[in-house]
Amino acid sequence: MNDREARVALNRLGEPGDVRMSGLVAELGAERVYTLLRDEREITGIYTDVAQRLRGLDPAADLAQADARGIRFVCPGDEEWPSGLDALSGCEPIYRRGGAPLGLWVRGPLSLREACARAVSVVGSRSATTYGVDVASAIAAHVAGQGFCVVSGAAFGIDQAAHRGAIAAPGPTMAVLACGVDRAYPAAHRPLLDYLADNGLVVSEVPVGCAPTRLRFLSRNRLIAALAQGTVVVEAAVRSGALNTASWTVRLSRVLMGVPGPVTSAPSEGVHELIRSGGATLVTRGEDVLELVAPAGEHLTAPHRGPMRPRDRLSGLDQQVLDAVPLAQAVPAHSIARTAGLGARVVVSTLSRLRGGGFVEHDEAGWRLGPAALDASLTPSPRRPA
Amino acid sequence: MSVATTRTISLQGATGHLIDVQVDLSHGLVKTALVGRADSAIQEGRDRCRAAVTNSGYEWPATRRVTILLSPADLPKRGPHFDLAIAVGILAAIGQVPKQALDGVVLIGELTLDGRLRSVPGVLPMAMAAAARGITTAIVPEPQADEAALVPGMTVLGVRSLRQVTAHFRGEPLPGAPAVEPLASAPLLSWRGEERLADLDLADVIGMADGRFALEVTAAGGHHLMLSGPKGAGKTTLAERLPGLLPDLTLEEALELSAIYSLSGDLPTGQTLITRPPFRAPHHSASTASLLGGGSGRVRPGEVSRAHTGALFLDEFPFFNAGIVEALRQPLESGEITIARGEEQATFPARAIVVLACNPCPCGDYHPTDRDNRCTCTEIARREYRKKLSGPVVDRIDIVRHVEPVAPHAFRDPLSCPEPTRAVRSRVTEARERAAARLADTPWRVNADVPGAALRERWPLSAAAADLVEDRVYAGALTRRGATRVHRLAWTVADLAGRDQPGLDDTDTALRLRTGAPLALSALERRAG
Repeated sequence: MNDREARVALNRLGEPGDVRMSGLVAELGAERVYTLLRDEREITGIYTDVAQRLRGLDPAADLAQADARGIRFVCPGDEEWPSGLDALSGCEPIYRRGGAPLGLWVRGPLSLREACARAVSVVGSRSATTYGVDVASAIAAHVAGQGFCVVSGAAFGIDQAAHRGAIAAPGPTMAVLACGVDRAYPAAHRPLLDYLADNGLVVSEVPVGCAPTRLRFLSRNRLIAALAQGTVVVEAAVRSGALNTASWTVRLSRVLMGVPGPVTSAPSEGVHELIRSGGATLVTRGEDVLELVAPAGEHLTAPHRGPMRPRDRLSGLDQQVLDAVPLAQAVPAHSIARTAGLGARVVVSTLSRLRGGGFVEHDEAGWRLGPAALDASLTPSPRRPA
Repeated sequence: MSVATTRTISLQGATGHLIDVQVDLSHGLVKTALVGRADSAIQEGRDRCRAAVTNSGYEWPATRRVTILLSPADLPKRGPHFDLAIAVGILAAIGQVPKQALDGVVLIGELTLDGRLRSVPGVLPMAMAAAARGITTAIVPEPQADEAALVPGMTVLGVRSLRQVTAHFRGEPLPGAPAVEPLASAPLLSWRGEERLADLDLADVIGMADGRFALEVTAAGGHHLMLSGPKGAGKTTLAERLPGLLPDLTLEEALELSAIYSLSGDLPTGQTLITRPPFRAPHHSASTASLLGGGSGRVRPGEVSRAHTGALFLDEFPFFNAGIVEALRQPLESGEITIARGEEQATFPARAIVVLACNPCPCGDYHPTDRDNRCTCTEIARREYRKKLSGPVVDRIDIVRHVEPVAPHAFRDPLSCPEPTRAVRSRVTEARERAAARLADTPWRVNADVPGAALRERWPLSAAAADLVEDRVYAGALTRRGATRVHRLAWTVADLAGRDQPGLDDTDTALRLRTGAPLALSALERRAG
């Protein structure tokens, strides 16, 4: 019995995210815990019937069977083990779930470690709206297109949209399940999961063949948070599993991001609360996400500003004078000076300068605005399509 | 004293009046008088008839005073199709045709100088009107016999010449005559117009889950729809696919629609009965007459009637003439349109699903959700444009959808498999059947027809669902009228989902459809994307 086999056996024995098990393994090592349990040596009074169950397990056969179906078991010490998961062992549990997984069952051609080196989780409600689906898919498509792996569950709604966006990019994507990696839950997502198994990654802490349960979804959420550098919550109502993932992201000190929705929309309420409480940074598109999760100095976004108008480049004095020049009817300079509250001499010299830039025009009646000053806001121009 | 009576039909819009054509031959000043408020086409018919009778080998009563009366005398009459009835009346008066054979027969057709017949527009509605007045036999130009024969219980004789008609009444074998040209002129240019529409399928529409669902509800309940969004977002793509979602026309609807096309003289040859719902997309520069009906001379049905039982798509809606938009109110409310001109009134059916499309601004590039938009419109121009999106027609819109351009990556999604039109149509058909069963003892066909009062009294929402709507009304997010529209939509959503009464989710979906909010995914169940 080596470390890997011991982990497979212990993985099958306990529930995923059981902090007692992960704590023991971290302290004693998997082989020793296995031996202690198998030999019915009581530890902290919890496992009373485990020895019997452990004796019935055949981890070597499990591994061989999984291997025959293209499924591998990745555990600490493996080259493919993503170091980001280790941070879980230092975190307080949530709902009594937590700790680093003993190992992960993995399907798919990508290297788990490489995928997780640059990864973003995109999560949200199953009860999403078409708005959330579109945004999730667009964000996933952008980050995946830039080589970041998209991490999500496999549920309807945001999860599915995130994977589909990444697949279309095309870019790497990874589904983290609450059931065995051979199963499809929901069943309608069999084609999606098969596609991911062929082109991306399907990952689960739960042994092959096992069904999803409510608690397994909660345990699964911590992996989604830990496998990526940051988590984007797209739409999450106040009671959504995505908020559990968000809590794990905060606990892991990873970047938590939220996509806002209409303030009247129930599915966005949870996200708004995350942003309002300061836990999440507001993002609206893939560029925003990459700026936050990419290594410092990469994927910087340019600050967004409106288009520059010729007027914007003028000095304060020039603008003050220009504001006092009428649009249609020309007036003499002293009238402009009075309106602007400036001296006549400075106004005349300023007007001459502005005339050079085409901001004002001069004729015998006086001064009026020139073409350069007539920006869009002053000239309604109804246009008809042909 | 010799008097003979024949019958024909005069049309006012789609309403037909049975006209008695009486011919009297008497002594007196030799003259042919035509009385009974005939228009110039009928007046000229005197000369056509005279030449036709003479050239067919009969003798025109040239030594008699010929009085032709079209009665009822107060009804204005128009159209060259009176020729046949007048000519046969003359022949009966001079004894060439037995008078008793003329009972229960309508005669429709224009004559040429050599006694041959020409096709005339409107044969189908004429035959329908004749049948409604108990007439059982129609004699029509040969190419239009199929058209008249669509009317149940009508015996139709298609003829080529006046001599054939005479022979028929005398019980003699029909003499040969050259074939009659069909009415529709051959198109100078051929293009893939109608066929192109038949080829359009929802399977080719990537993404746009919201728009697709809105289209489905529109088709199922007959609701009016407004699509807004920047140019190129796919508004036309969606609208063009609406007729494909509608079930085949019932015989009654097919007759109504075919009658309209017959009136405008463009019932396609070789296809007398139109069985698929039409799609009409008039340009925003269209005139009042072309859109609503009218025109000089004969009142012709407009686009709004040609779209009857199908879809009327008004792209760039804010650019339509304000007067036309105002006039659309009547057909939207009553399902028919009345064109009054002088003392003449023509009424045509006009129960179409109206789909409006508008851009967010005059240039069409404004994206409220995209900061990189290239819109060049000023805020004032945008506001002016939006102002046009209120008023009588927009008030009658049930469903509002904002269409955003589909993200480019969506076209590369290998897992995307949009539902084909066929699958959606079968759901729409089931939903319509469910609604029809519910509305069986009422004059209404689809949910959109049901008036608010009847809806509240006979088909109320559940208490919880009604509360959901009421909350929005109190919050000011919905008007009373809007609440009724939500109520109606909720029934259609429930019909599509196969539920016996709208539940909370259906009502929520209806609210979203009405207010333009994005749909919840739960509403799109079972629809693959």
